[in-house]
Amino acid sequence: MKEENNNTSGKGVMGGIIFFAGFILALIVGWVVFPNLLYSQKMQPMNFSHVAHQDSTCEDCHAFRPDGTFTGVPRVEKCKECHESPMGNTEDERRLVEDFIQKDLEIPWRIYSWQPDNVFYSHAPHKAKGVECVTCHRDVSKEKSLPVFKENRLTGYSKQTMGMIACEDCHAERGVNNECGLCHK
Amino acid sequence: MKLGRRAFLQFAAGAVGGTLLTPIPWQLMDDSAIWSQNWWFRPSPERGEITKVATTCMLCDGGCGIQARLVNKNRAILLEGNPKNPVNAGGICPLGAAGLQFFYAPYRIAQPMKQTKKRGDAGGFQYINWDEAIAIVSAKLAQLKAEGKAKTVACVSGQRRSSMDDMWRQFFMAYSSPNFFRMPAQTDSLELASTLTLGQHAPFAFALESATYVLSFGANLLEGWGAPGRMQAAYRLWRQESGGKMRTKVVQVESRCSMTACKADQWVAVTPGAEAALALGIAHILVKENLFDSDFVKSYVFGFEDWTDAQGKSRMGFKNLIQLPQYAPEETAKLTGVEASKIRELAKEFAASSNAVVVWSDSSANLPGNIYHDLSYLALNALKGNLKSGGTVSLVPSVPLEPLPELQLDAVAKRGLEELRLDRQQSPKIPVPGNDFYAFLDAASKGAPYPVNVLMVHEANPVHSLPENKLFQAALEKVGFLVSFSSYMDETAQQADLILPNHMALERYDDAIGAPGVPHAYYAVASPILKPGPGTKHTGEVVLALAKSLGGNVGAALPWKDYQSYLQKRVEGLAASKKGAVAEKPDMELWKLQPGDLISANYKDGADLWKKLTSGSSWYDAPVDAMQEVETASGKFEIALSSLESKGLISASELVYLPHFARLSPSGDEKEFPLLLVSYPTMNIANGYLPNPIFMTKTVWDFVLKGKDLFVELNPQTAQSLGMAEGSRALLRTPQGEVPVRVHLFPGARAGVVYIVEGLGHTAYDQYIQDKGVNANSIIEVQLDPVTGLGTVWATRAQLRRA
Repeated sequence: MKEENNNTSGKGVMGGIIFFAGFILALIVGWVVFPNLLYSQKMQPMNFSHVAHQDSTCEDCHAFRPDGTFTGVPRVEKCKECHESPMGNTEDERRLVEDFIQKDLEIPWRIYSWQPDNVFYSHAPHKAKGVECVTCHRDVSKEKSLPVFKENRLTGYSKQTMGMIACEDCHAERGVNNECGLCHK
Repeated sequence: MKLGRRAFLQFAAGAVGGTLLTPIPWQLMDDSAIWSQNWWFRPSPERGEITKVATTCMLCDGGCGIQARLVNKNRAILLEGNPKNPVNAGGICPLGAAGLQFFYAPYRIAQPMKQTKKRGDAGGFQYINWDEAIAIVSAKLAQLKAEGKAKTVACVSGQRRSSMDDMWRQFFMAYSSPNFFRMPAQTDSLELASTLTLGQHAPFAFALESATYVLSFGANLLEGWGAPGRMQAAYRLWRQESGGKMRTKVVQVESRCSMTACKADQWVAVTPGAEAALALGIAHILVKENLFDSDFVKSYVFGFEDWTDAQGKSRMGFKNLIQLPQYAPEETAKLTGVEASKIRELAKEFAASSNAVVVWSDSSANLPGNIYHDLSYLALNALKGNLKSGGTVSLVPSVPLEPLPELQLDAVAKRGLEELRLDRQQSPKIPVPGNDFYAFLDAASKGAPYPVNVLMVHEANPVHSLPENKLFQAALEKVGFLVSFSSYMDETAQQADLILPNHMALERYDDAIGAPGVPHAYYAVASPILKPGPGTKHTGEVVLALAKSLGGNVGAALPWKDYQSYLQKRVEGLAASKKGAVAEKPDMELWKLQPGDLISANYKDGADLWKKLTSGSSWYDAPVDAMQEVETASGKFEIALSSLESKGLISASELVYLPHFARLSPSGDEKEFPLLLVSYPTMNIANGYLPNPIFMTKTVWDFVLKGKDLFVELNPQTAQSLGMAEGSRALLRTPQGEVPVRVHLFPGARAGVVYIVEGLGHTAYDQYIQDKGVNANSIIEVQLDPVTGLGTVWATRAQLRRA
């Protein structure tokens, strides 16, 4: 009986190690491998340098329409205002002019902060309350090239997009209504 | 070290424990939920800038103002009423609201098609380019003209009240073919009635908005009558209440409790087809009890008293005719099934109302009415003095658009051309011929006295939507070459030898000249809400191209470079008249306009007017005084039709010249076909050129259409006598054919009558439209009015037996 007990104790330590190995492996897979597997890295159709456009104000391209809706990423019509013919000699600009502006085609930008259709969001009241763009979006003031678009293989949305929890936290901090119907109309 | 089962389980337990502390399960759970929100079948509208573009609805000839909501100016997502439009005042009918389904329909024709096999073989169509397509038609037309057979080219168009109609007429006149027809409609007989009584070939208009008493004889006022958007607006006014009293009393005389009857203040159930007898019964009381407007009748009506014809023979006037005992309430009651006391009550109510109006629709299926019945309803309006200036009945005013270039034909040549028209070759001759499409089909199916070598079909689908459609099929067998201009693969396009697809109604320049039944003058332009696809072409431009290639007279008659410049030119003419103004504000209440009201033009010139009209505003002018427009021999409203003599209708019978009850007998043996079949329209089933869009089909009750089964309405007593119950399957047979139906018991259906809905039973288009119900047009019988030759329908004999 005693021997058996000893055996059991030795097995227990060994068992603990095996359990712990499984535990650690799972943590590595879950925190390191899985995120890389879940998101594919997609490139934008062409580069866009915000720095190169510093002669314009943000509102020149990202503006509110008269009906209060927000333009978001501008359409090619906007690019055409300046780039009807190339202004510089980068490859990206050549593609912009030849592949899109001249063919009157929209640039299939991948939108980092695209939200599902069941989310109602309006920029206007946030702007009115003084919420800065960078509260939710990345700071592009020094950005020369667009970041890689990490696309969730399952949902198709960007990794960079905002989750509901971020909206809720901010609303809670500021004492703003947080009921479901506010965004899920 | 050997790892056993125990070690494996220990490892797995550790892995599970570890996994729970990683994002894997939680993230996957969340992502799966999000993934499931975006499955392929869920529509996801494009995001972007929302804009609105205003235009005129061309889905029917109502001329309602609409606006389309666009995303990024390239995708239309909604059609709604335009509040600035004086006809529909912001309202929209179900067909208009669902109109975008035609825009994005899978059954649209993308490019011209040529039938390479036997006619009707869907697999035989081959895409061709526009140059080839137009060359085929123009070669045929040029050859026929060279051979002196121009008259064997014919056309039927479903687009009335539009410059397209004028263009077709000009083309046919210049090409020297008289055979241009419109799809039959109630307006055909109303225009003839106004010709006979007022000497003016214009449809009647009714001031429904200002009426306080509307007596409707079978007019489906809320189910597509006139301009549907206008009727919604009028109904809103009627239902305004003050002091517990509705502003307008609406009395619906009809055999079936239709939606209009349901929404009226009173439904007078009448024997089908006997509505005109009731109108004459009411006229009898008005005359007998001196309740009519004697001043108006004395000054403006010819033939009320006895009159003398051109031969000097004394003829009976309407006053003496209507007082004959057969028009007395008790006799009328026998004919109509309406109690004599009710008839007296109606007559007194009608006479006592300050702004009463009689409206009517004598045929089901929006067909022309029996001319004597149209005249009877008009007589009732005349007795009430409704035709006087500012009264409730007038004529739809003409619009002073730029006329088309004068043709190099003299009047004799024009008349000669008319004489050659295929429908006028009938024997005996039709005394007052109109748009006699049925007579044309009859002659075409005989191929005599001359054949139809080319038939063009524009904005119409007669293979399905012409009542008694097999008459068209029969004619088609003898037609040499069928050209369809349809935007959709409809039943007629399927039979075509060549399809030249028109831009659909929302993507082309078009116009609406006058609104049906609306007293004030009206003109609106439709401009494209989006750029049309490259494969379709405006039919007007095809006509222009044909004219150009034919050259000579024809080319000179149609000199414009495209359809838009043609319309622009017409609008310049309108601007040059300096008449009317542009309605630029909502709630203008134009129905308050009176004849002679001065309206100052608020447009500068043709270009300015064009700009305003193409941005969704419409032009209007004051109504006309019908009595100022009179051009009869007597200079009065002719209740006795003295002009019939000059048209060769000379009869010893007094009745021929006076409004009377002249219901035609349907064919078939009453014993074999003991029931009557009557068709009815509803607001949520399209019954004309267009099929029912899916959005509308979704709103059809399942006791009208369930799956593929169509239900006919039957009075419960009739059903019981036939041994049928709710939902029974039955075979409905008429002398025209037999169809399978199911039975719906409806106490609002008259005993002994079977009611069938119009507009179902398509075999073309797509899986969501075809094979739903049966086509009423395939079993109803059309009868030609002996005076006008127009096709009329009041009922068809039928039998119903268990299937």
